[in-house]
Amino acid sequence: MRPRKLLRIARWEVTKNAGGIDRKTAAIVGVTLLLFGAVAPLVVAQGGVAIDQGIYRVGIDEESPLYPVVEDDPTFAIRDPGAELGEEIDVRVSFTRAVSSGTTKGEAALSELRSSVTAYNDRIMRGEANQSAAFPVSVTLNYVERDVQIGPGGSGDGGTGDGTGDGTGGGTGDGTGDGTGDGTGDGSTGGGGTGDGNAGGNIGGGLPSITGSSGTTGAPSDIAPPFPFESLVLAFLFVLPLNFVIQAYGSTMLSERINRRGELMLVSPVTRADIIGGKTLPYFAGAMALEVLIVVGIVTLLGAEGGLFSILAVVPLVLLFLSATFLGAMFARSFKELTFVTVAITVSLTTYAFVPAIFTEVTPIALVSPLTIVVRDIQGASISLSAFGFSILPPLFTATLFFGLGAGLYREEDMFTQRPIPLKVLDSLAGRIKRARSIVVVVAMLIPLVILAELVAVAAIYPVSTAVSQTIWLSLILLSIVTIEELAKSLPVYAGFVHNRYDRSLRSALVVGAFAGLGFFVAEKGLLLVRLVFPDSLPEVQQSAVASAGPVADIGPLVAILLLLAPLLLHVVTAATSAIGGRRGRRGYAVGLSLAIAIHFAYNYTVVMLFVS
Amino acid sequence: MSRDVRIAIARRDIASLSREKTIVLALVIQLFIAAFSSFLVVGLTSLYDPGSVESDQLTFGISGEAREELDRAARAAEVNTEIYPSQEAALEAFREGEVIGVLHSTDTGPTISVTATVPEGSVQSTVTVVQVREVLEELERDERTRRSAHLSTQPVPLPPEAEASPYFGFTYTILLPLLLFLPPFISGSVTVDALTEEIERGTLELLRVAPVSLTDVVDGKALGMAVLAPIQAVLWIGLLSINGIAVSNVLALVALVSAISLVVVVLGTVLALLLGQRRQAQLLYSIVALGLFGAAALLPEHPATVAAKLAVGSATQVTTLTVAGLAVLAVVLYAGTRRYVGSIDPERYS
Repeated sequence: MRPRKLLRIARWEVTKNAGGIDRKTAAIVGVTLLLFGAVAPLVVAQGGVAIDQGIYRVGIDEESPLYPVVEDDPTFAIRDPGAELGEEIDVRVSFTRAVSSGTTKGEAALSELRSSVTAYNDRIMRGEANQSAAFPVSVTLNYVERDVQIGPGGSGDGGTGDGTGDGTGGGTGDGTGDGTGDGTGDGSTGGGGTGDGNAGGNIGGGLPSITGSSGTTGAPSDIAPPFPFESLVLAFLFVLPLNFVIQAYGSTMLSERINRRGELMLVSPVTRADIIGGKTLPYFAGAMALEVLIVVGIVTLLGAEGGLFSILAVVPLVLLFLSATFLGAMFARSFKELTFVTVAITVSLTTYAFVPAIFTEVTPIALVSPLTIVVRDIQGASISLSAFGFSILPPLFTATLFFGLGAGLYREEDMFTQRPIPLKVLDSLAGRIKRARSIVVVVAMLIPLVILAELVAVAAIYPVSTAVSQTIWLSLILLSIVTIEELAKSLPVYAGFVHNRYDRSLRSALVVGAFAGLGFFVAEKGLLLVRLVFPDSLPEVQQSAVASAGPVADIGPLVAILLLLAPLLLHVVTAATSAIGGRRGRRGYAVGLSLAIAIHFAYNYTVVMLFVS
Repeated sequence: MSRDVRIAIARRDIASLSREKTIVLALVIQLFIAAFSSFLVVGLTSLYDPGSVESDQLTFGISGEAREELDRAARAAEVNTEIYPSQEAALEAFREGEVIGVLHSTDTGPTISVTATVPEGSVQSTVTVVQVREVLEELERDERTRRSAHLSTQPVPLPPEAEASPYFGFTYTILLPLLLFLPPFISGSVTVDALTEEIERGTLELLRVAPVSLTDVVDGKALGMAVLAPIQAVLWIGLLSINGIAVSNVLALVALVSAISLVVVVLGTVLALLLGQRRQAQLLYSIVALGLFGAAALLPEHPATVAAKLAVGSATQVTTLTVAGLAVLAVVLYAGTRRYVGSIDPERYS
């Protein structure tokens, strides 16, 4: 890779290729933005968009003391109280008595009315002269750590007793405050819940409470459970611009593949890395400029400190978006297909960035997404190096992997052929396979992606863990982990068979399978090594994600060696199983893979159950 | 003849979608979004739901001067309590895990100040905080009533508690509009692709050799995409109904989705023909489409509100008029687009 050539290609991308951004486009963009700029204040002025406007119909007359409540809340539509209950109205209020129609809608309306009345009362009480009579109760909320561990924790780590609280950075000192409040949302002047830096106050509504990590004593309605509102807003703010960038980036990459346009570049004396790097650089720079603007905007707007960590933390996010789009553009056959691939990328990566929103209070899992670092940085919370590394390294490696796989396809014979996406996926993997040994490297390369996928899966299953029995959610987690791992081990092997890199004898299947298992085992054990070096760096979810890596609890050396080698045996056996199936085409692969998943699941389930009980 | 040509083009486009299996991908994406958002809400609500934690774990320790009042309020809020003589004793019980939280009260005369201690960093803390708030709001109401002589306005009496599903509002105001409006958005995007692809690959010229006009080509491509979205809408409504979520005014909803998809398809068509390159057209399409969705707030009712009100069965005259208005707008815009297409010199793309 030579920087001079790379930069020249980058300059071409901006001037020549984007020369397409001609005067006409620029004019349309300008007019559009101007128009929306003019409309936006109007929209804001009329109170934004209230989608639930008027969905419940309440029969009430002006005599009722509840009338102003119903009138103030746009969720309700006022109707004649004489109207038929259930047909024309959902709730009837006769003076102070409210009756619902009894349907699910009626009950929902009544429940909404109840919370509306509470909010209304607080609002009028705020105008009272005698504030101590209006707010006779004041609350101070303290969060205290307990040793008693209840509820779901890490699943497979043999109960080494690191409770939920021992995450990183000296106690879960982040905890975003609650921005939504309890529906009153009118910028209550009162304080918020106090906490030792964990509970945010819900002072005001919305963003400002990002900084308010602790507040003063307030009224009961001011206390609110930790709710992931900031993460949601931030995820939206940071991710939305990226979607526009990847739109353009995907188009420019795919258009190289149309009518063999990219061939000229391929035959010129530059390397593949130069071309890809040069074409990516402007979009990376543009996206980073946008993100830095957003960070600076938030920091100055809220008067928050920090910013540097935030900027560093969005780098992997930007790279992940670009790399996934690059790979998608290499896979797609047509613009239409690219659109769907782009939407799929947008949706899945937004989900990934959004994951911390669900768990702001359960920090270790929240760190899966780099956005958590951004939230904590803006809140002024300290960020330990290991937490930072844990958060940004998996996406960074995954981005590298995506670029690497895509670059494998950036060559004449792959770029200009039309093949279905699944085959292209196999092509990209097979591009790295030369001999039986190379499978070790390919499988090991997939590890960051595996870790990321497993973490997201665990995070996604977490919310239901409270609703269903332990056996069910544990099985769900194990099943998703096992499926991801087996796919990672067997896909490269299958790709090798499809591309005739390996002969289809039983012996070669066993050899290749063993190599795949070995590669996975070595890479996974590498993770354990990381854990030994930085004891804090792998929170328990990570541990549960690598549950099959074997427990390292206090057990005798003989048992330890046995337990260490058992996973190796397992990986080799399962990889060989799917490899044997993979010899016989697609159907055989499906059978082999299912069998491997079943074996792996049975093993993990037994191990985990052994340690849970 | 010309009808057949248009339908043939539409069928070709849809066939290419199904051949590439992208339509499957599209449905999977939508299913994923629906599942994820429902999951999120169900998950979050279950975090907030006291029923998700065993009830005997939800006993609060109460201490301090106003413990009698607190106890009364807790009983009204249906929360278990255990009275302790001192805060220390209560906190000791908390540490032992006998109580989930501690409410210690100090009566300062004019007000009662309560120090609530709840466990940190677990699923339970959310549930606990919700319970604390319920108890204290009950207490606040009691105390307000007691001090009513000092208040110039009286609080409004509270309606009874209802057995409502916490997901009800979410289902109709977020999930349903999301499911209904995502397909049109993607349809418009694919229209851009379908046209720019022909232009960029130079195959539009080949189509021109065939006895079809540019208007026919555009008609066919727009038709295919505009029909796809309402079909998906019907599918989603059917799926929701199977899951026990009653959706009213199905016909009006389908009309709404059809109108909106026609509007965005027009947008995609115009941008694609105007700019001729996917990158610019697609970029601008998403900006304009998102902007229009936001600007629609200036309508008497936002399309998302219209969808929610129609589905939940609270439609008003304004709702019906908005649907009709959007339908007329869509048809007018489409007619205008056809005229514009007719005026284009196809040579410009070669």
